[in-house]
Amino acid sequence: MKLRGGYNIFLQGRPGSTIKAMPEPKTLYLPLSSKRFRFSAIHVADGQDVALGDVLATDPNNYDVPLLAPRAGSVRLGQVEDTVVLENIAKSQEYADTNGRMEEVQHVERTFGAAGAQRRRLMMLGAWQFLHEAHSGRLPDPLGTPQAVLVSTLSLEPFTARGDVQLQARLLNFTRGLEHLQSLLEYQPIYFVLPDIKSEFASIVRNHIRGYASVKMVELPLTYPYDDFAVLARSLGLSSGNGPVWALRTEGVLAVDRALTAGKPCVTRIISIGGTGVVSPGHLRVVSGYPLKCITDKHVFEPHPRIINGGIMTGEAFGPGALGIDTECRGITVLPELQEREFLGFMRPGSERSSYWPCFLSSMVQRFAERLTTAMRGERRPCISCNACEEVCPAGISPHLIHKYLYRDLVEEAAAARVDLCVECGLCSYVCPSKIDLRAQFVEAKNGIAREKAEMLETKARQESTEEVNA
Amino acid sequence: MKLLLRVVEKIRPHFEEGGKFHAFLPVYDAIEHFLFAPGTITTTAPHVRDPIDLKRFMSMVIVALLPCVATGIYFFGLRFIALIVVSYAAGLSVEALFSIVRKEPINEGFFVTGFLFPLIMPPAVPLWMVALGVAFGVVIGKELFGGTGRNLFNPALVGRCFLALAYPVQMSGSWLKPGAGVAGRLLQYVDGSNVDAVTSATPLALAKGGEYVSLSHMFVGSVSGSVGETSALAILAGGMFLLLTRVANWRTVASILISFTALAAMLHHAQPDRFGPALWHLCAGGLLFGAFFMATDPVTGPITSGGKWLYGALIGVVTVLIRNFTGYVEGVTFAILLGNIFAPILDEMVFALRLRRLKVEG
Ligand code: SF4
Ligand code: SF4
Repeated sequence: MKLRGGYNIFLQGRPGSTIKAMPEPKTLYLPLSSKRFRFSAIHVADGQDVALGDVLATDPNNYDVPLLAPRAGSVRLGQVEDTVVLENIAKSQEYADTNGRMEEVQHVERTFGAAGAQRRRLMMLGAWQFLHEAHSGRLPDPLGTPQAVLVSTLSLEPFTARGDVQLQARLLNFTRGLEHLQSLLEYQPIYFVLPDIKSEFASIVRNHIRGYASVKMVELPLTYPYDDFAVLARSLGLSSGNGPVWALRTEGVLAVDRALTAGKPCVTRIISIGGTGVVSPGHLRVVSGYPLKCITDKHVFEPHPRIINGGIMTGEAFGPGALGIDTECRGITVLPELQEREFLGFMRPGSERSSYWPCFLSSMVQRFAERLTTAMRGERRPCISCNACEEVCPAGISPHLIHKYLYRDLVEEAAAARVDLCVECGLCSYVCPSKIDLRAQFVEAKNGIAREKAEMLETKARQESTEEVNA
Repeated sequence: MKLLLRVVEKIRPHFEEGGKFHAFLPVYDAIEHFLFAPGTITTTAPHVRDPIDLKRFMSMVIVALLPCVATGIYFFGLRFIALIVVSYAAGLSVEALFSIVRKEPINEGFFVTGFLFPLIMPPAVPLWMVALGVAFGVVIGKELFGGTGRNLFNPALVGRCFLALAYPVQMSGSWLKPGAGVAGRLLQYVDGSNVDAVTSATPLALAKGGEYVSLSHMFVGSVSGSVGETSALAILAGGMFLLLTRVANWRTVASILISFTALAAMLHHAQPDRFGPALWHLCAGGLLFGAFFMATDPVTGPITSGGKWLYGALIGVVTVLIRNFTGYVEGVTFAILLGNIFAPILDEMVFALRLRRLKVEG
C-alpha cells in the first residue's frame, strides 16, 4: 500500500460519540438534487398521500435511483423550488406495500439470478445510493461486476459522521451487512479498512467476520484524506482500467443489512453536527428531508454562522433556499464567519495558531485544536513555488503546475498533468501561502474536460449515425 | 486599536473605485494590510485556511537575516543602517510605481529583496549606487517579468551583478577593514572617504596571491567583505532558523554545500599550493550567504526536489570553477544567476519524467 501526502487539520468542535434521535418532524423538505443525484423524474402528484417508502422521484441519469418518502404524508409540489414537501407527517411508521414492486424483483431474479434480484432490492429500498464507484465517485451500475469492494469505517474529514461511532453501536448489523455484500459478489475481494487492525475492537470485529474468506482487513493511518475512495483504491493497486471498484462506508453496510435482512426502506441517516460554532458537537439520527432549521435552532449559538453541508474541506455552504437535509448529507459543519481584523496579525508569535508550516510558535508545542473561522488569513498572491501543495497532495500530482497551466488556459496540458486524478480533498488550497483557490480551479477544470469529452463522443456518435443513414 | 481600525476604514473609500486617490490603492492597501489582517473570507471549499500567508513567510526570512545585520553593524559600522534605509526607499518607490501602473497589490517579496540587497554590498559603497542597484534589480530582475512569483532571476543578485559590471572600480574600492577591538565599529559611521579604513584586500583577493586569512577570523566575520557575508557564524545561525521553518529548502542548501566542498577538496588535494583548502573556501566570500539566503529563494529556484539537487550541484560546481579558474575572485553571484536560468529547465525535466509515470496511473 502506497500513500502520499495528506495532512491532519485539528480544529475545535469534533463530534462526540453520542447519537441523538431528533424529534419527529411535522413537515419534511426533500431536496431534489444532491451532490451526485438530480431526481428529475417526479412520480407523485401535488396533494397525493404517500406511504413510507413510496417512490417520490427518480434520477434517470443514475440508473433510476429513487427518492423515497421517509414518512407517510401528503405531497406538496411547487411550493418550494427544487424540493418535494411532505406535510401532515403521520405518526405511525408503516411501510409501503411493496408487493407490486416485488413482482419486478422476481422478474429480475429470473433474468439475472439471485444476486441481480438482491441488487434490485437494494436499489428499490434506498440502500444502493450508499455505494460509490471508487475512482469516479459516481453511483455504480447495479448490474455491473466490480473488481473489488472497499468498505471504509473511517471518516477523516472534519467533520463528517464518524464511521467508528456507528460501527460500535451496531456491530452485529454491520457484520451481517458484510455477509450480504459478499453474497452479491462471486469471488471478488472485500477490503475492510480500519484505522488500527491490532486494536481490541478490531479483534472483536475479526472474530465476527472469521468465516468470510473474501474479506481482507486493511490498516490505514488516520490522516486526511486517506479515507477517500479514490486514494484508497489507488493505494491498494486497484486501477480503474480493471473494472469498477465499489466503495461504501459504515452507514452503507448498515443500509445493505437493513434492506436485505429486514426488507425495510433506508430513509434514516446518521449525520454529524460539529464545528467551531456548535454547542455540543455530536451525531443525530434524522430522516432525509429533515428541516434544517430545527437542527440549527437547537445546536448553533454563533450569531454569524456559516452552515456547511458536509465537512470543512469539501462541503458546500447551504444556500438561503435550503430547507431540508438531502439524501446524501453526512454532516453539518458550522463555522463562525470572520468578524474581527487582527492588529499586526502576521507579526504575532502564533502560539495559538496551528499551521502546516513550522513558522509559528505553535510548532514547538503539541498539536492542538484551533478555533477556526472562515477567514482567508492572508491575501491572494501569485504562486511562489513553495511546493507545499504538492507535498500534501494525496493524488501525487503537482497542483502548482496544473495551476500555472490553467492560469494560461492550457487545458490540454493540465489534462496531461492528470488534473483528473485530483480527488478534490482541498488540502492544497488549505496550505497555500499565496491563498490560491486551487481546489475550486481544479473542480472547474475537471468538469470542463469531462463535458468536452462527452460532447466529443456525442458528435462522433451523431456522425456515425448520419453516415449509416447515408450508406 | 479599535480607533485606528476605524480611522483606516474611514480613509479607505478615498482610495476605492471612484475615490480621489484611487490610483494609489496598492500603496494604501499595503499599509492597511500591514496594520490589520485583511477581512477576506473564503468563498469555496475548503472553508478554513492555514494561518500562513506571504507576510509571515517573508517575515521569517527577515528574522533569519537579523544575525547577519547585527554582525554587519558590529564590524562595519552604523552606515549599514543608512544602506538599508536607502535600499528600502529606492526599491519601494519603484515597486509602488509598478503596482500603481499595473493596478496590482504590492508584493511582500520586496521586503526581502530590500533587506538582502544591502547585505551583499561592500560596506563603503556610495549610497546612490545602492539606490541605483536595487532599482535596477527590481525593475529588470522582477517587474519586467511581472512581479514576484513570475520572475526568473533573484532581483537582489541582478542588482549586484549590474553594479559589479557597470562600476567595477567603485565596487572593489569600497571594502572596509572590519572594526577591531571589543566595540568593533558599533559607534562609527565609516564611508569611502575614510582612507585608513578602506582596503581592497578581501580574503578571496588575497588568496589569489597565495595569502590565506585565518579560518577563525572568517568564521566569526572579522574580515573584509560584503556586509552580511563575512560572518559564517551569523549566517549559519540565521540559515538554520530558515531551514527549521522550512521557508528555505534543505535540499538546495545541502546540495550546494556538498558539491562545492567536494570539488574544492578535490582541487586542493590535486594541487595544494595552487588551490586553497575546501573548508577555507567554504567560509570565504559569499558562498554560505548565497547558499542559505539567495539560492533558496523559492521563486527563482526549481520547485521539484530532483530539480533542487541538480540546481544546488550546478551552483556549487560553477562557483568553484569561477573562483579558481577565472579572473574573478568571487563567483557565487554569477553561479546563482546561472542556476536561475537553468531552474525552469531542470523542473521541466523532472516534470516530464513524472508525467510519464503518471500516465499509467489511476
Ligand atoms: S490537487 Fe486535488 S487531490 Fe491534490 S491536494 Fe489539491 S484538491 Fe487534493
Ligand atoms: S502552495 Fe501555493 S504558492 Fe506554494 S507552490 Fe502551491 S500554489 Fe504555489
